[in-house]
Amino acid sequence: MVQERRILYEHLDVPNINTFDVYRQHEGYTRFEKAIAEYQPEEIAQMVWDAGLKGRGGAGFSTGEKWSFVPRDIEPRYLCCNADESEPGTFSNRYVLEKNPHLLIEGILICCYAMGIETTYVYIRGEFTLGKKMLDAAIKEAYEQGYLGENVRDTGLNINIYSHPGAGAYICGEETGLIESLEGKRGQPRNKPPFPAVQGVFMKPTVVQNVETLCNLPFIVGNGVEWYTQMGPTYADTRKDPPEPDRNTGTKLYCISGDVNEPGVYELDLGLTCTELIEVAGGLRGEEVKAVIPGGSSAPILTHYELDTRLDFTSLTLAKSMLGSGGIIVMNETRNIVDCLLNIMKFYAHESCGQCTPCRWGTPWVRDIVQRIADGEGRQTTITRPKFGVTESGRWGDTGETEEIYEDLDLLENVANNIANVDTMTWNTICVFGIAVSWPAVSYMRKFRPEFEAAIREGKLVTLPIAEATVPPEENYAYQQRFIPKEFSELQETTED
Amino acid sequence: MSDEIIQIETPFQFNEENKREFDELIGRYPVKEAAMLPTLHLAQRQAGYISPAVMKYVAELLELSVMKVKDVVTFYPMFFEEPVGKYVIRVCHTLPCALRDCKVVLEHLKAKLGTDIASETNLAKGTTDDGKFTLMKVECLASCDVAPVIMVNDDLYKNLTPEMVDELLEQLPN
Repeated sequence: MVQERRILYEHLDVPNINTFDVYRQHEGYTRFEKAIAEYQPEEIAQMVWDAGLKGRGGAGFSTGEKWSFVPRDIEPRYLCCNADESEPGTFSNRYVLEKNPHLLIEGILICCYAMGIETTYVYIRGEFTLGKKMLDAAIKEAYEQGYLGENVRDTGLNINIYSHPGAGAYICGEETGLIESLEGKRGQPRNKPPFPAVQGVFMKPTVVQNVETLCNLPFIVGNGVEWYTQMGPTYADTRKDPPEPDRNTGTKLYCISGDVNEPGVYELDLGLTCTELIEVAGGLRGEEVKAVIPGGSSAPILTHYELDTRLDFTSLTLAKSMLGSGGIIVMNETRNIVDCLLNIMKFYAHESCGQCTPCRWGTPWVRDIVQRIADGEGRQTTITRPKFGVTESGRWGDTGETEEIYEDLDLLENVANNIANVDTMTWNTICVFGIAVSWPAVSYMRKFRPEFEAAIREGKLVTLPIAEATVPPEENYAYQQRFIPKEFSELQETTED
Repeated sequence: MSDEIIQIETPFQFNEENKREFDELIGRYPVKEAAMLPTLHLAQRQAGYISPAVMKYVAELLELSVMKVKDVVTFYPMFFEEPVGKYVIRVCHTLPCALRDCKVVLEHLKAKLGTDIASETNLAKGTTDDGKFTLMKVECLASCDVAPVIMVNDDLYKNLTPEMVDELLEQLPN
């Protein structure tokens, strides 16, 4: 049985931890004090780089690397804390904001010190009224105690934190969408480059970080890089010669929901498998796992063949999925995948910001196709088309065989791939919302194709037994090349032999 | 044309408390436009919804054109352009809640309130005749572990069953 390793969430359930006094009794702000007493700002940035901290918001980009892009000679610089948690299946930031807001403030202080930033905006989604209230109260206390404001703790630093409410738009979780929204405009993402690190909010260098990423900083500074890098697996990146270590350090706040007995947030080392995680969450509610969404609704789905996949940045990328924000949704044998996809596509059709044509028109189109299939009106072409291939005479041509066409399934894949192509990983939109739409659409359809075909054929939603509903990995292009990555230490052993 | 519409509305103004809060807000940003969302939230809390008169007032405060304010208001689902009920009930219906039978809660609310579900362009459709409730569906409320959830104005209610919905509706004062 895997044990939880509570670091960010260690004191979450302590009564009144949201107040300054109680937080202070639990090592509160000591890490920030250590940072300003013992380290230069550049040293902190280097520590974060060395710790291998990856952004927890979705993209999994190295935090230290992102900080290195920020030009230190342009003033002022800004920090935007992304608390616009709206990815379906993700809810870890809510608990930090509502129960332990001082931890976030300490993380922000360390980031501000390291990057020489004076102003921070915490962009909280509009629905988090309690979270905003708690954070505002904590910010007020921190000002009173001299941890914020002018001349923080007599160090000559000026640091201000302001909370900024969103207004219910999912796209504002995208970093440039967030910046536009913060500037008081429609939250429509910007073209990159220039990246926010160079020209972000108010056209000044901006660091955009997720709540969870910032909450990791006090522990990296407090306990040291060595302690932090012990946690999580290190793989060998064999694309490089010689292979470089690809690290997945630290813990992750896994949010588990759906068909498990004890849904909730579990803080665990990166790199445990889906099966282990379901076990930690009190086991499956139902008989068998049909599918697992590993990283919020944007992530491609995993089938029951892939339950041994380790949930970390590297392994999920190699499994053609992503860890994303760590929102894991489990589905048991009673769930219909067509119905689930319809739900998700309604979400994306609603949340498309309308800036880029492929997404504005493509998302409702995909939704309509799935709706049609779910309503039992899916289009199936009765005329069979000739199958092309190498004929008996050895030439390319009609082989004489015929192929049944499920017109709507081809159309679904075509439309989705024209918003963003999941095979080549290129998108026809400004931001990655495009790929967040076509990834689930195409992966659900490819991996659970029999269920889609059955719905079209029978004219109603049919929930097939798991074995029939899932396409096996060896038969299908859906999974692509899939292998379990080797740990770096294992690779070194083999090369030494 | 738009000016004529604005003329016939009663002018809107912040009350003293909100004016103070606005003055504090505006100092946070290097440009006034950036205070748009918090200002609109304040205005909506006072006026109930963002009428053309509110837009005009906010535009004057932030030194922008009314069009720019309207541009923002129409983008964000949390801003209402029509009057809504005293209690806005937001029912989450995204996948994790759907897996935990949010449909039952939604249908129960519909039957109990005797109203349809509001759409973004037609809020009146989901508002009860007495103007007490507005029922709407929203996307993920980031509380998937305690699904199904609903929000009544600013408060979140978790792990709902139809019985709990009944209790909750009775508790709300008129």
